[in-house]
Amino acid sequence: MIDTITGQRGKETSPPDLVNTTDEKLIELFVSSNDERVFEEIVNRYTNKIYRLAFRITRDHHSAEEVLQEIFITLINKIDTFRGGSKFSSWLYRVTANASYMHLRAEKKYESDVSLEDYVPYDENGTLMGRIKANDWSERPDKALLSKEAMEIIEKAVNELPEPYRVVFHLRDVEGFSNEEVSEVLGLSVPALKSRLHRARLFLRDKLSDYFYEWSK
Amino acid sequence: MVMCKDVVENIMEYIDAELDDKTLEELEKHLDECPECQAFVRTYKKMLELTGKLRERTFVTPDIRQRLKELLKSKLKPN
Repeated sequence: MIDTITGQRGKETSPPDLVNTTDEKLIELFVSSNDERVFEEIVNRYTNKIYRLAFRITRDHHSAEEVLQEIFITLINKIDTFRGGSKFSSWLYRVTANASYMHLRAEKKYESDVSLEDYVPYDENGTLMGRIKANDWSERPDKALLSKEAMEIIEKAVNELPEPYRVVFHLRDVEGFSNEEVSEVLGLSVPALKSRLHRARLFLRDKLSDYFYEWSK
Repeated sequence: MVMCKDVVENIMEYIDAELDDKTLEELEKHLDECPECQAFVRTYKKMLELTGKLRERTFVTPDIRQRLKELLKSKLKPN
């Protein structure tokens, strides 16, 4: 017997091994049974991921929580509209990204016009400018680079990316999606997302170098 | 002739081992001779390693979880 979201006690029958069930199978089970234990497994699996993406896009905890709630309510009401043409996770991330953009637009914080396409670390002769080795922070001990303070610095640097670059970087390099999955979630071609990812990484490498250099003074 | 710019613009493919043999050989020759590019590659890789750690962070506090649970309780119809 288990306690569920509604406080009801689970059925006596042996529950399926939900933790090891695929997303798609869970959806199928929930649509056919309306079993809240199944929905709870989806909630457990995706709460952090949905919130992280919503926060990464909106950069606002209040908006991220609203998006989180909206997404699960949408799931309850419209889960039968998920047709399985794509992976459930891709569908869910796409819905989350769209809801987050709605929040940004409602608050007039959307900034799609900021471009990093000309962002390069080299000079007009194609040469790195002599300060990268001098500021090389890569050999610093993990204890410092993985400290709470350092993680805040990293978080701050990622949040400084303009939104179209931030979301690509988040899905690809933080959540670990493949190029094809990011392409499906954001409706971007693979070459376009690779171009954004490249500029985002250059920007972040520079930002972290600046921050860690200042931090060590 | 390979320059720092070529290392920078091919860094994604270099890290992912997607360069053709000739380009790889030329870039590595430049890298061997260019301490700036070596530092660039080291800090680039370290940046990826550190930002990947953001995946382990959770922003969802017990309060957020509780509010979500309460909300879903009112929306889910018990069997």
